[in-house]
Amino acid sequence: MRSLQAPLPYVDHFGLSASELRLILGDALSSGGEFAEIFMERRAYDFIHMEEDIIKETAEAVSLGLGVRVLRGDRTGYGYTNDLSMDKIRKTALTAAAIARGKAGGAPPPALRDRTRAASRYVVRLPVHEASLGRKIRLVREAYDAAKACDPRIAKVKVHYSDSLSHICVANSEGLLVRDARPMVKLVCVAISEKDGKRESGYYGGGGRVGLEYFREVLTPRAIGIEAAREALILLEAADAPAGEMPIVLAPGHSGVLIHEAVGHLLEADFNRKRTSIFWNKMGKKVGSPLVTIYDDPTIPSFRGSYNVDDEGTPPRQTLLIERGVVRGLLQDRLSSRLMGGAPLTGHGRRQDYSDWPIPRMANTYIAAGEDAPEDILRSVRKGFYVASLSGGQVEDSGKFTFSVSLGYLIEDGKLTAPVKQATLIGTNIDVLKKIDRVGSDLAFGMQTGTCSKDGQDVPVTDGCPTLRIERMTVGGRSC
Amino acid sequence: MLKRRDIKTPAPAPPPALRDLAEALVAYARKQGADEAEVSVSDGYEFNVDVRKGRIETLTEAGSRSAAVRVIKDKKTAGASSSDLDMGTLRRLVRNAVRRAELGSTDEFAGLAPLSAERVDAAALDLYDPAIPLLDAEMKIRLARETERAALRDRRITNSYGATFASHEVRSVLVLSNGFVGEYEKTVCGLGVGLQAGGTDDRVEDFWSSTKRHFKDLESPAEIARKAVERTVRQLKPRKIPTQNVPVIFEPTETAWLMGFLFGCITGTAVYQKATFLEGKLGQRIGNERVTVVDDALLPGALGTHPFDSDGLPCRRNVVVEKGILRSYLCNHYAARKLGLRSTGSADGGGVGPSNFYLEPGPEAQRAEDIIAGTKKGLLLIRTLGHGLNSVTGDISRGAFGLWIEDGKIAYPVSEITISGNLGGILGSIEAIGSDLEFRSPVTGPTIKVAEMTVAGS
Repeated sequence: MRSLQAPLPYVDHFGLSASELRLILGDALSSGGEFAEIFMERRAYDFIHMEEDIIKETAEAVSLGLGVRVLRGDRTGYGYTNDLSMDKIRKTALTAAAIARGKAGGAPPPALRDRTRAASRYVVRLPVHEASLGRKIRLVREAYDAAKACDPRIAKVKVHYSDSLSHICVANSEGLLVRDARPMVKLVCVAISEKDGKRESGYYGGGGRVGLEYFREVLTPRAIGIEAAREALILLEAADAPAGEMPIVLAPGHSGVLIHEAVGHLLEADFNRKRTSIFWNKMGKKVGSPLVTIYDDPTIPSFRGSYNVDDEGTPPRQTLLIERGVVRGLLQDRLSSRLMGGAPLTGHGRRQDYSDWPIPRMANTYIAAGEDAPEDILRSVRKGFYVASLSGGQVEDSGKFTFSVSLGYLIEDGKLTAPVKQATLIGTNIDVLKKIDRVGSDLAFGMQTGTCSKDGQDVPVTDGCPTLRIERMTVGGRSC
Repeated sequence: MLKRRDIKTPAPAPPPALRDLAEALVAYARKQGADEAEVSVSDGYEFNVDVRKGRIETLTEAGSRSAAVRVIKDKKTAGASSSDLDMGTLRRLVRNAVRRAELGSTDEFAGLAPLSAERVDAAALDLYDPAIPLLDAEMKIRLARETERAALRDRRITNSYGATFASHEVRSVLVLSNGFVGEYEKTVCGLGVGLQAGGTDDRVEDFWSSTKRHFKDLESPAEIARKAVERTVRQLKPRKIPTQNVPVIFEPTETAWLMGFLFGCITGTAVYQKATFLEGKLGQRIGNERVTVVDDALLPGALGTHPFDSDGLPCRRNVVVEKGILRSYLCNHYAARKLGLRSTGSADGGGVGPSNFYLEPGPEAQRAEDIIAGTKKGLLLIRTLGHGLNSVTGDISRGAFGLWIEDGKIAYPVSEITISGNLGGILGSIEAIGSDLEFRSPVTGPTIKVAEMTVAGS
C-alpha cells in the first residue's frame, strides 16, 4: 500500500535563482515580518466535454503565478502576481511586507536548502501530459457510449474529462526550498433517464493523482458510464424518502462525507485557535462512541487528496483526529501552529492556487474499520434508512451538519427494500458521534472526484468509511 | 503608515493595450486557420482586509490578468485560457486550439453569433465608481474594524469570525472575428461581519454583508453590525420540532437561493440537455398568477448589470415567467440555435449566466411582518445548510434553521430540521409575496409564503 515511486520530472517554469528568491524573501521581511514565504505555481489543464453524441469542446488552460506571504504575530500580508518579472515580484513582496509595519529586524534570510523529496506518492506510468488528446477523447467516448447503450430509458449523457499537471515551488525565510510536480485526472459521467415523462439523473466518476493506466487497471470508463446509468435507472423506480428521525445505515466508501463534515472540518486548527469550533475545548475529551477512530492521511498513494508536500512545503503525515471517541489531534498549518505555541505541523496547509494563502484543510479523511460484519449491521435494523450514495454535505462551527443522499433504500426487517430518492440528513456532530453504535470491518473509500470548499478555496479530497449504523438521525424526506 | 499610495500595485496597463492584445490574438487565430475566433481579456485589481477582534488578520492586494480564447474551425470548437499573458504562451495556446479543434466533432450549431447592430452604452449602466480606486487602505481597514467593534458591543455576541472589507476593479475586453469589439470597466466593494452567540456547546452563528458597485451605497458599519447581531441572536436556544407539513415563509436571503435554483432550471443549456424538469414547458403555466420572474441586465448600477454578453450580443431585460406562465428560457447563441429560439443575451463564458434575476415583489402594502402576522402556524425560514437541489426533478431537501410562528407571532427558534418540497409545487402554491425586494445580489427576491412544505424534525 505504501509503495512509493520516482517523482515526475520537475520543470522549472519560474526562472528564479536561489539568490533571487532570497532577495525576494528579504524584501518580504523588510518591514519587520517574522516569516516570509514564496509560493510559485504553474498548472496546465486539459478539458474535454462530450454531450449530444459529440465531443462538444476541448480546452486547454494555463495558470501561472506567484504569491508572497508575510507573517507577523497573528497578521498575514499577502500579495500575488501573474507577471513574473523580477520587478513585479519584488513589488508584490513589498505589498505583503507592509502588513508588519515596522523595520527589518533580524538577519537576512538564510541560504535555501532544497528539501524536495526523492520519492513520490503519485502513481503514474502513463503521464497525462504526455498522452495525446485523441487518447483522452477515446476514454470519454467509452464512458459515454457505455452509459448510452445501457438502456433505452437513458435519454441524455454528459461526460467531462479533466487533467492537470501542477509544478509548485515553495521557498521560505527559514531556508526551506521544496518542489513538487503534481498530476491529477478526473473522468465523470452524468446520465439522465426518462420514463413516462419522469426524469432522474445518475452520477459516477473516478481519477486521482494517477496516470491514464488507471482507466484500464483500476476503474474503466465503461464502468463509470454504466454506474451513472444504473443510478439514474434505479431512481426512476424510487419513492419519496421518508421524513423524520430513524435509524440510519451508511454504505461503505463515499459515506465518509459524513465524517468529513461532522468531524474533519471542526478539527481544522484555525477554527480551534479562534475558538469558533465546538471542539476547541475538547482536546483529550471523549466526544463519541468508543467504536469511532478517525484519521486524515495525505500520504495514501495515488489518492486525489494526497500530496508529497503540502502547500507550505511540509511533508504530511497520517494524523489521528479521534481515537476511540476521544479527540486527539488537529489538522495544522504553519500559522495556527505558531499561534498555538508551536504545535507540531501535520502537513495540512493547503491552498486552491497561488492567489490564496494556505489554511488548514483535510486531505483523505476516514473512519477506521471496526469489527462488525456489514451484513450483521444491516440485519440488526428492523426499520430504517440505508444511505447508498451521497452528493455532498455542509457543516457550521456549532457542529450542525447536513449531507445529501442521492440514492437510498428503506430497510425493513434487516433487508434493503424499496429505493428512495434524494433527501438531506441533518444532525449535530457530537450527538451523531455518540450515536454511531456499529462499525463494519469493510473500510472503503469513495469516488476519486470530490472537492471540498472552505473560505472560497476549493481543494481535492477523498473520504472513506466502513459500513456504519447510527442509532437515530433526522431524514429530510417528503412522506410523513 | 499603510497608505494606498505606498503599496499600490502599479496601475493597470492603459486600456488600448488590453484591446490590442485581444485583437492581435483574434487576427493570429484567423491566420492559423480558425474560421472564427473569440478572445476575452480581463485586468483586475483586488484589495481584501479581514479584521478579527480588532486586529488585522489578513491583508491582500494583487493585480491579475487573464485571457480566454475560443476558436471554431470546420464547425468544431476548441478553447484555451491563461493567466500567463506572455505573447509566446498565448500564441502557442491559440495554435494548439486550432489543432485541437480538428480532433473534436462537427457540431452544426457551432459558430459565433452574428454581429448585432444594436449596442448598449456601457457608460449609462453606471458600473464604475471612480471613488473606489482612490480609497485609502487605512479607511478600508477602519470600516472593517468599526463594523466588528459595533457588533461586539452587544453582550450576547460571544465570538467573531471577523469583519471584511473587499474591493475589486476590473476592465474586460471582448473581441470577436465578426467585428465585435466591446470593453467596459466595473467596480465592486463589500463590507460584512460574521458572528457567534451562545456558549461553546449551544452556539449559533450568522453574518451580514453589503455589496455594491458604488462605495457611497454601502450600508454603514453600524447598520451591518446591527443586522448581523440581530440575525445571530434570534437563533439562540433553538428547539427541535416534530415532523409535519406546514406553511413556510422564506426570508429574502432564502428566496434568493430558490431563484438561483429556478435560474438553473430555465437555462437553454439545461433544456437541451434535458437536465431540467421545466423542459418542454415554454408557454405553459409553471406557477400561480402571483409569480413573475425577470432577468434584467440593464438596471443601472446593479450587481448583475452588464452591457454585452460573452457572445458579443447586447444585454437586455427578459421576462422569464409572467403571471405564472413560462415565457422565455435564458439562452446563449448556441443553446438558442439548438432549441430553435433566439438568444436572450445571456451568454456567460461557455454557458448561460443570470444578470439581475429576480422575483417581482408583491403589492406595496404587503410587508414581511404582515405575511407573518397572517400565518397561524408555520416556519419562517432564515438559513439553510447543505445542497439538496435537483434540477432534473425540481426536488428540494435542505437542512434548515428557522423561527416557529404561532398565531401570527414569532414563538421560538428551531434548528436541526430539514425542509423539503418540489420547485414546481412551490411556484404553484406561493400564497403571498412581500414588497421587500432589494438588489443585494445578482439573483434575488422578496419574502414569499409557500402554502405547504414538509418540515422534518424529531
